[in-house]
Amino acid sequence: MTVAAGIGYALVALGPSLALFVSVISKKPFLILTLLSSTLVWLISLIILSGIWRAFLPLNSATWWPFAILLFTSVAFQEGLRLLFWKVYKRLEDIMDAFADRVSKPRLYLTDKMQIALAGGLGHGVAHAVFFCLSLLTPAFGPATYFVDRCSQIPFFLVSAIIALAFVMVHTFSMVIAFNSYAEGNKVDQLFVPVVHLAAGMMTLINFASGGCIVGIPLLYLMAILTLMHCGRMVSRRLTENHRQGSS
Amino acid sequence: MLISNDSSFARNVGGVLVESGVEIQHKLKGFSPAQKFPQAEFSPYHNTTYEWNPIGSGIMWKSYNFPVFLLSESSTSTLQEIAMKNEKTERAYTTNVAEFDVVMQTTKVGTHDSESCLKEETCLPLGGYSRKKMSFANRSDVYSYGDITILLRGGMLRGGSVWSALPPIDRLSSNQSKPIILAVASMDAQSFFRDKSLGADSPISGMISLLAAVDALSHVDGLDDLNRQLVFLVFTGEAWGYLGSRRFLLELDQQSDAVHGLKSTLMHLVMEIGSTGRGLNQGNKTFFAHTEVSSASNETLDALKLAQESLKSDGVTISTANSSNPGVPPSSMMAFLRKNSSTSGIVLEDFDTIFANKFYHSHLDDSANINSSAIVAAASLVARTLYVLASDNKNLTSSALSAINVNASLVEELISCMLDCNPGLSCELVKSYISTTNTCPNHYVGVVLGEPSSTPHPNQVDDISRFVWNFLADRTSTPKGDTSVCSQDCGKKGGVCIRAETDGKGVCVISTTRYVPAYSTRLKFDSGTWQLLPPNSSDPMGMLDPVWTESNWNTIGLRVYTVQDAAYDRLVLLGGITVTVLAYLAILLTRAYITKALKQD
Repeated sequence: MTVAAGIGYALVALGPSLALFVSVISKKPFLILTLLSSTLVWLISLIILSGIWRAFLPLNSATWWPFAILLFTSVAFQEGLRLLFWKVYKRLEDIMDAFADRVSKPRLYLTDKMQIALAGGLGHGVAHAVFFCLSLLTPAFGPATYFVDRCSQIPFFLVSAIIALAFVMVHTFSMVIAFNSYAEGNKVDQLFVPVVHLAAGMMTLINFASGGCIVGIPLLYLMAILTLMHCGRMVSRRLTENHRQGSS
Repeated sequence: MLISNDSSFARNVGGVLVESGVEIQHKLKGFSPAQKFPQAEFSPYHNTTYEWNPIGSGIMWKSYNFPVFLLSESSTSTLQEIAMKNEKTERAYTTNVAEFDVVMQTTKVGTHDSESCLKEETCLPLGGYSRKKMSFANRSDVYSYGDITILLRGGMLRGGSVWSALPPIDRLSSNQSKPIILAVASMDAQSFFRDKSLGADSPISGMISLLAAVDALSHVDGLDDLNRQLVFLVFTGEAWGYLGSRRFLLELDQQSDAVHGLKSTLMHLVMEIGSTGRGLNQGNKTFFAHTEVSSASNETLDALKLAQESLKSDGVTISTANSSNPGVPPSSMMAFLRKNSSTSGIVLEDFDTIFANKFYHSHLDDSANINSSAIVAAASLVARTLYVLASDNKNLTSSALSAINVNASLVEELISCMLDCNPGLSCELVKSYISTTNTCPNHYVGVVLGEPSSTPHPNQVDDISRFVWNFLADRTSTPKGDTSVCSQDCGKKGGVCIRAETDGKGVCVISTTRYVPAYSTRLKFDSGTWQLLPPNSSDPMGMLDPVWTESNWNTIGLRVYTVQDAAYDRLVLLGGITVTVLAYLAILLTRAYITKALKQD
């Protein structure tokens, strides 16, 4: 496929993340740190999961239900870690607020907190894209291309890049929703994130069927857009509430 | 042929993949990439336009700008599938392509003839001792380059010819002047594809006949008392300019160590066994004796007639070749005759005016092309004829002649060892003499590794030569001589060490069996490199010798994969950039919206 196509696939998977990084995250060092640490946490979670699942390999790829169990346990573990991540963040937030008081500087604004959540989510998303798409992309820079039997209309690399992009969106905005819901104590939203994460994961199982990617990928994007819209709605609601509080 | 005639077609050809399979062989009535008169320049007569091999297309000797691969049967079916997929693919923007990975060091470095490549050490002369691949070329990029199977112009092939005397020549005895009857065969074959040169009919069937004849004669008593000495000689490198025979004759002149015990003045007559595998015609085994018009070979013909008489019940006939033939067919005899035109010699073949082998020097000349009963018949004929010649009509009885019988199961075994992959070189007969990791036999002469000598190290000699040496040494050894474990004084006793590879120690037997290096008479190994000697009028065949060499090469491969159109690649890149830019714009818009919303009020 050549270098042009390889770069194209990489951009499809990670272009928006790059755009987000450049425009929002790179301006504040603390956000960069948050992004890196959340990437690390996500990768560690993968390592632990793979360590546990090693005993059950190889999985029989003719049936789909072992993969369903794999996805369920992985999602559950990662959501548990998200809670932990939140708790650590809360501690950090208190420390930073105390420090700000001491040096008579303003505390963290709501937008700052949301940006931290965004950085955390982006960290998760980038880790997912790098691990599940970029690592497979090296052959794409060579002369050949590859088509999978069960999804034979689109090259394999394009399929994995598109799926990675969807997951970047899901991870990034889920973290914003999650942090907000933990801060507000909103149970519905607290459930929203794991459910959407699990649903998105399960959608990929549809790709197992022959020609399933034609159905599975649009559904996956449905999840991603749902997350995006829910996040947008929540953010605008909180900002207007906060604004009203502040001005009143 | 199409390619050499149509240059615009040739420009579009990147490479050729040749299919293989049993059905293909049956469909072809004949295929020979050799010339119509192979090695005509070496003939001792002037009619070089005579077509011994009318089917010959000569494509093997042309140079091409693209590689030609012979596929295995499994690869053939895989590639046929892929080619069909290419025809009926729904995706317009992909095709399946093949990529060749062949780097010939001589082409890369630019040494396009033997003299320069030998000097630059980017090639090695052809010749027997080693059959290992060389990995000297560095693989840089992958690119299609020509001449993978066609050797570069100018070549030097050499090998390990083997000779053996029956009975062993007693060095210490003063009676060393028995006239010598030389029985000759060759063991190297040639084809368009270096790694599939079986040469079942030409010349291996002849070699098998000779080995079986030696086996039959080894059971005869009283060979010591015969008037003449029998010497068997198996040449290699004959297909590449008669290297074995020419070198042997040169060494004979120089009286080197390799030919100790032989003198050219003692050579009484030469009998060459050419191809014998296709001598079966409707149940009868017919062979032809080819001889040069001027040489006096009536004695041999009479001996052959006597032998034929004794084999009448087996339906074996031998006739003199058609007098309209210009002379002997392409054979080692040409080298003997060029050296000394009065050499008394005949060439025994299974054809009269044109080759009976319709697959001469092609990769399809395999065991399906020959008949073992023809080989057995030829071996019987040869054994009995040699006995008649050696006894020089002294006390020749028909009972003695009928006692000489060829072991047909030995012939079958030799065929399955030398010409089949199963069992191939892992068969019991071969394993009892040599140890080798190869199973599929290949009779390409190979290249010379290191300095040529008459006592080469076993890992410098190829499997077939080593087997022939061990076999001949075993069969020609004095049966009543004591055999003991090999030690230093084995050679001093006039013995040789056989089966040394199978158990590490070997057995010392009394036998006169030696290797003779076989390489072009135009080459000299001097202080680590090969040097091309200038043409010398005392060596007329050397003046015509093209001196073949083989380029150094690394692993050679073929890859087939799917490729996208360049337009599709650019589309993907555009898509990626678009997605990134749109995302950036969306983020900027959102940010502006949020700041505006916060500033409101």
